Amino acid sequence: MPEDLAEIYRSTYRVLVRFLYRKVWDAERAEDLAQEAFARALVHKPEKARAWLFVVAANMARDEARRAARERRHLTLLKSEPEVVSRAPEDEIDADAKRVRVRVALDQLTPRDREALLLWDAGMSYDEIAAQTGLARGAIGTTLARARRRLVEAFEAGSEEQHVARG
Amino acid sequence: MSHVDEGTLHAYLDGEQLPAERALLEAHVAECPACRARLDEERALIERASHLLGLAQAPERAAPPPPLHQLRHPRLAWRLRMPLAWAATVVLAIGVGYYLGGTSFRSAPLADSSATLTTVRPTDSFTPIAAFAYGDRDSIAPTRRANEAGHTGKAPARTPAEPPIIVDGALAEREQVADQRVAPKARADSVAAQAGVVAIDRRLELRAPTPAPVPSAAAPPSPARAEADLRAARGRLVATEWPIIQRQPAREMLGTDPVGVPGLAVREMRRSPAGDGVVLVEQQLDSTTVIQLFQRRVEADRAARDAAPAAGAPALRRQLYAETERLARFVGSLRVEIAGPLPEDSLNKLLEQVQPIRR
Repeated sequence: MPEDLAEIYRSTYRVLVRFLYRKVWDAERAEDLAQEAFARALVHKPEKARAWLFVVAANMARDEARRAARERRHLTLLKSEPEVVSRAPEDEIDADAKRVRVRVALDQLTPRDREALLLWDAGMSYDEIAAQTGLARGAIGTTLARARRRLVEAFEAGSEEQHVARG
Repeated sequence: MSHVDEGTLHAYLDGEQLPAERALLEAHVAECPACRARLDEERALIERASHLLGLAQAPERAAPPPPLHQLRHPRLAWRLRMPLAWAATVVLAIGVGYYLGGTSFRSAPLADSSATLTTVRPTDSFTPIAAFAYGDRDSIAPTRRANEAGHTGKAPARTPAEPPIIVDGALAEREQVADQRVAPKARADSVAAQAGVVAIDRRLELRAPTPAPVPSAAAPPSPARAEADLRAARGRLVATEWPIIQRQPAREMLGTDPVGVPGLAVREMRRSPAGDGVVLVEQQLDSTTVIQLFQRRVEADRAARDAAPAAGAPALRRQLYAETERLARFVGSLRVEIAGPLPEDSLNKLLEQVQPIRR
């Protein structure tokens, strides 16, 4: 592995996994995809490796989501018993519940808003986000503002719903 | 300058505004209370959104080594096994098979499967996570026999009058066949040693149906013996008394995915019978070598560490604990210890690669 790519691997692996996790919502899968992205980078030796990695990762996550959606359709037909509820400690359940709510909230963003937000959160600059999403650089601030507002609103709406449901 | 739109505010707060715009905005905000208030609002919004995103994270994991480098180099080191390790392995395994299977010598599959479970290199480190539960146990006889047999490397003469020994021969042949499939030449010596060990072990067991006397009870204490004690106790007890569990219970015990060395087959997952929250993941390096990864939650480990010396722990335990500090590592929320019939630096390298196990 070239030295610079090894360095990028060390500095970027975790953020890339985090970025992917919020797309595939499966920690192991996210790691698989991140490793796959780096493996491809080894072959392609891209010039701007970091940005390239995120583009590749985003594409893989999109393919993954499509595949998962297809599988879900199949699974719905074969609907079986629900997953076993693990006896996780209280705070872990809480963390899981919050994670699910954030996920639901993120799903309510438009794909473009969501992408910009996740890229920003992964440490990308406005320039990099513009390059990756095709948005004008001047539009990134507005996009992020909208994405953040929707995320917070959707999350809070979800919480209220939950409180009502709990009675 | 008119009032600032929220996109500009976010760009400003993100530190992504161009310097010229920045100066303009700051000048405006300085004299516009409405925009100042909005700036604070947007700042709070950004923090809130960032916090929410922070909730949507997989449990923190250690970054694995770069792809394509995985497990490429260490294999050479794994070949540098000591014949002693073989002998110990097989004797322990057969002993285990014997203890587990009662008098049934037809339990060849059991013996076969346990042969790779208990690879304890006689001169290697061991793991107090496991040994804490069993540090006081006795019975070092199998390992001692293993050492002796390993040194001589000869099969003792077989007495036809003792039927089990014939079965032993068959078993040894079976193992030999299995081994030759994998690496005929490199293993020939070891296999010969194994055959001898097997026979010795069985003969002693047969002649002394009651548990063999514990030499350390009579002999004056010596550091070497103390070590042998602990190693033997650990190896035997892990193999016999640690129940095999599935992935899901292991996950529940650890509160996260169990960890292992990527690219290696997981042979078994086990749990400590002491209810101390230790999960053991056994992974196969090759057909006869298994490494053991003892792991438990950090909190549980601290509790055990604090409790152990207080419980009037004998010097052995303390020594044990000191030993393993070197071969332990934190991976996410787990403390992980490694053991196996490999040189310490190889074990360390493997330990460095440990990460949560994929399904």
